[in-house]
Amino acid sequence: MHVPDGYLSPQTYVPLYGVSFVFWSIALRKMKRELSSRSTPYLAMAAAFSFLIQMLNIPIPGGTTGHAVGAGITALLLGPWTAVIAVSMVLIIQAIVFGDGGITAIGANCFNMAVVMPFVSYWVFRLVRGKATGERRLSPAAFLAGYTGLVAAAVVTAVEFGIQPLIATGADGRPLYAPYPLSIALPTMALEHLLLFGIVEGVVTMLLLKYFLKHEPGIVYTVKEA
Amino acid sequence: MENRIPPFLLRPPAEPTEQGRGKVRVSFVDRGVRHAAKVVSDAYVQWELASREGLLQKIDARVKLFFLLSFVVVVSLKREIGAETALGGFIFLLAAVTRVPFAVYCRRVFFFGFLFGFLVALPSSLNVITPGRIIIPLLTFPEAYEAGGYHLSWHLPRQIGITEEGMRGVLLLTLRVVNSLALSFLVLFTTPLPEIIRGLKVLKVPDVFIVMLTLSYKYIFLFAQTVEEVYRAKKSRLAGGLKGSSGREWVAGRMAFLFRKTQMRCEDVYKAMLGRGFSDEVRISGFRKLSSRDWMAGAAFAVAGIFFLLL
Repeated sequence: MHVPDGYLSPQTYVPLYGVSFVFWSIALRKMKRELSSRSTPYLAMAAAFSFLIQMLNIPIPGGTTGHAVGAGITALLLGPWTAVIAVSMVLIIQAIVFGDGGITAIGANCFNMAVVMPFVSYWVFRLVRGKATGERRLSPAAFLAGYTGLVAAAVVTAVEFGIQPLIATGADGRPLYAPYPLSIALPTMALEHLLLFGIVEGVVTMLLLKYFLKHEPGIVYTVKEA
Repeated sequence: MENRIPPFLLRPPAEPTEQGRGKVRVSFVDRGVRHAAKVVSDAYVQWELASREGLLQKIDARVKLFFLLSFVVVVSLKREIGAETALGGFIFLLAAVTRVPFAVYCRRVFFFGFLFGFLVALPSSLNVITPGRIIIPLLTFPEAYEAGGYHLSWHLPRQIGITEEGMRGVLLLTLRVVNSLALSFLVLFTTPLPEIIRGLKVLKVPDVFIVMLTLSYKYIFLFAQTVEEVYRAKKSRLAGGLKGSSGREWVAGRMAFLFRKTQMRCEDVYKAMLGRGFSDEVRISGFRKLSSRDWMAGAAFAVAGIFFLLL
């Protein structure tokens, strides 16, 4: 889902840098207020954790493997605002060090995976869980949180791709950036995330939350908050 | 003398893959080991290359960051194949005169460029997506089909093929992706990462954010080694395959273990910071003054950037 350089027009990536900047500023202010001097190593730790989740391949029924983005579980374990900073830092490091995601697209990638995904996951979890505390309700809530968060991020990415032929064309009407219209980008991205990657994300979110609820429920943000 | 070594020790070691029905399947443990090892090896390669002597290596990281960001924007603004080709020529020329291993550099740039640029964009060269003059006909149907409406409509023409206009679009996108990657890798191959991150200060990125990026990178590198060790330990204890459900549970348990380990490390780092007199204020200092060589390089990059912008 990492958008590379060259796919988004300046009229898309510049505003998305702006939106991400607003979220980074709010998140940093919140973190500093809540965690004080502890925030620096704490956020770096959260970023490292988000990165590491992406390194662990998980077996999927059908014989293949996949990895999660980890923004959903980071939001459930540490809170959505911490996830904004942690996942953003991972995406920035991935873009600079590994060429995974473009430099002009850092704003867009951070908006999709570090803003949309943690907040959707967090709110879906809260909505589905309600006031329940038992595993029977928390496990499906965690699965849906991870699943919906990733699908929402994929849909937002697809919209960013799909609007390119509408807003950036050459004199002959040819698309200059991402060439696929909404009618192709949206169903393609949505389907592969609904049927495959969303399930991986949901399973990872559910298994990890289950593990923490069983062994260390005290450190889970969404449990502490309830 | 009779050979007393047990026969199973004389057999060649088992392949790290398991045989599926007619195809080779790589286990998730192997994938994990490879992924973790790649992170560590990439970091080593980057350190090794960035410390070599060369034209760009001698230039201050802030100037190179300015070069990278301004040229990435110029690359994204160009709308003509000719301009993108000229830009690409300039970047690869710079890479050739700087002492980066050119073959490794090209392999990396073109591999990702081919994957994210050419392969992803190739289907858009079909007349279904980009109408135009068909240069390579592929399929012919008895009649055309139409479905949907507004921006979510699908039109299937009678003849499907690759169009000239579509191929030009694919070429432009591929060149743009290749050029952006070439720029990123050029700066990465010639600058140590901590210097790149410190260089972000010229962009008015808050010091606290820069320190967090540096710390996370160090944590990632440290814990990537832990992940590799954990996977290897598991792999060495596996006689057969690991079933899907137990595999998933094992991975989830290791993720949780990593979370606890990162938390413990965070506490240690925080105590060490306090021990050294950290007073809740992050300030990055120690930037050396830009030399005349840095200024000249900056000016040359600015002139080249304006030239390519106007091209």
